[in-house]
Amino acid sequence: MSDKILEVKDLKVEFKTDNGIVTAVNGVNIEVYKGKTLGIVGESGSGKSVTALSIMGLIPSPPGNVAGGEIIYRGKNVLDIPTDEMRTIRGNKIAMIFQEPMTSLNPVFTVGNQIEEVLALHQKELTKQDRKDKVIEMLSLVGIPSPEKRANEYPHQLSGGMRQRVMIAISLACRPDILIADEPTTALDVTIQAQILELMKKLQEEIGMGIIFITHDLGVVAEMCDDVAVMYCGQIVERADVKTLFNRSRHPYTKGLIESIPSFDSTLGETRERLPTIEGMVPSLQNLPTGCNFQDRCDFATDICKGQNGDPLLEKYGSDEHMIRCFNPLS
Amino acid sequence: MSDYLLEVNNLCKRFPIKGGLFGREVGHVNAVNNVSFKIKRGETLGLVGESGCGKTTLGRSVLRLIEPTSGEIIFNGENIVNYDKNKMRELRRKMQIIFQDPYASLNPRMTVGNILAEPMEIHGLNTDKAARKKRLLELLDQVQLPSDALNKYPHEFSGGQRQRVCIARALAVEPEFIICDEPVSALDVSVQAQVVNLLMDLQKDLGLTYLFIAHDLKVVEYISSRVAVMYLGNMVEVAESSELYGNAKHPYTKALFSAIPKPDPNLNKERIILEGDIPSPMNPPSGCHFHPRCWLASDECRSSYPNSTNQSETHQYKCHNPL
Repeated sequence: MSDKILEVKDLKVEFKTDNGIVTAVNGVNIEVYKGKTLGIVGESGSGKSVTALSIMGLIPSPPGNVAGGEIIYRGKNVLDIPTDEMRTIRGNKIAMIFQEPMTSLNPVFTVGNQIEEVLALHQKELTKQDRKDKVIEMLSLVGIPSPEKRANEYPHQLSGGMRQRVMIAISLACRPDILIADEPTTALDVTIQAQILELMKKLQEEIGMGIIFITHDLGVVAEMCDDVAVMYCGQIVERADVKTLFNRSRHPYTKGLIESIPSFDSTLGETRERLPTIEGMVPSLQNLPTGCNFQDRCDFATDICKGQNGDPLLEKYGSDEHMIRCFNPLS
Repeated sequence: MSDYLLEVNNLCKRFPIKGGLFGREVGHVNAVNNVSFKIKRGETLGLVGESGCGKTTLGRSVLRLIEPTSGEIIFNGENIVNYDKNKMRELRRKMQIIFQDPYASLNPRMTVGNILAEPMEIHGLNTDKAARKKRLLELLDQVQLPSDALNKYPHEFSGGQRQRVCIARALAVEPEFIICDEPVSALDVSVQAQVVNLLMDLQKDLGLTYLFIAHDLKVVEYISSRVAVMYLGNMVEVAESSELYGNAKHPYTKALFSAIPKPDPNLNKERIILEGDIPSPMNPPSGCHFHPRCWLASDECRSSYPNSTNQSETHQYKCHNPL
């Protein structure tokens, strides 16, 4: 295996609400390797973004609170690092791209200015001219035409795809070790999404950062990721390399997710089959069933899933790196 | 009666751009430009395109929620463009719409029962209390919601359930034609499949005709018998779904299909990546609007807009250099 740069161990994040404490992330373990992409998939409310925000140390507290676990970056637990020191890491060594390129840029500063800000904060040895040059270099790196001109423009003058490119330029300006991309292409059109994904792959080869790619689109996962973690109700339910996950998924939830995507072949011919679905909906985090969280929607649930012998654990399945949290794995 | 429930001929919608001190018209946007299509009874026509291509404007113009600038809309054999307000209201019983965002399209202060009863009240249907109650329960059953939903408020439901309420509301007046404007794009994958199945079941049971607008080609392809592709206000290709996927003639259609991430890591991915962004509709490129992003563009494409070519009876495209 290549170099491990980040390890999240047994992370638990809680939020205080009017109706009591909600555990948004419950015992998540992930590892990020240099030059590799880890995908985190799940439906809304499954805890994927909260996991990402805790790595960045950006969980709003209160109401949020990292209740347990460790996030090890370069031998240090990020959770114990004092705020001042964390500031030198955040945006510098661990960077993040958000879903909405419209709202994550500041409308009153030029895009050049916003890229420069990161450099001024983290690379104090650079002179003003160095920074200006670097801004142009970054803008052309992310494929923005006439970067000298674009650097002086404001976010509203750019299209959605261009703004997301600027976000990528900002996050990569300091050549981070880890890039967290939280649904970076969800708000974009498919043709623009294809451009951005291609760009991220190219930059990963150049810079060699590890990427945590959060998405709900399994198509994007298949294109981008080396390893995948599937989350459901704050827990990882299946983890494997991308080929194993798509070819031999063992958790009924993962299998259901993959099957519920319409494929083009299914429409060829006259007889249109119904789409396979996962019945019901995600249970409320405040009112999780005992035992397996997926039991009510699962076709394979038996008595053991109701928790008479405790909750299911994330365990190795077979000999490889394939882990699942299920009492009745698919064969 | 003809086979076609809806026929749209040369529909245009032009929005003025106002500027300057006195708000004079300084230009215009051709949001929908000379679009013609027909939908058969019981058929689903899919409508795809990137944001800003005019698909939502087209959908709303067909219902005259936005007044079209010119063109004909023939519904059930009658041109409805010149219908007055009262006649139009009557007609809307036959044509309904489901919107994209089920969070924004339901009144948060009304119970589901009232939301579903309102269209019946407007159209004077089931005025008898018992009959109405019966109809409300029937509607909930059709969209697979429990009967206790009647007294609940929209915030008590999840996104998928709210979309079911929106579908029930559209069904309340027994329409023939429903425009589905991105009905599943705000939903999670597992819920999306449930709603798609529901829409298909309802079509079979009630003989509905759909115009299905979405940017997700996979869903459109799945639900539609024919698919139309729009680019900058123009319809550039129409064909049967399987034909469009396997035998697209317009380079834009081909690029759109190849841009979709396929959920299969074993596939060898050879994709066409379009350069650049969608041009501004305020100032569209000369000739074929697609030529600045097209890898097959020739001089002809830069100077003249291509006419519609018939590949077969069901397959039309507008391109000088088809694939």
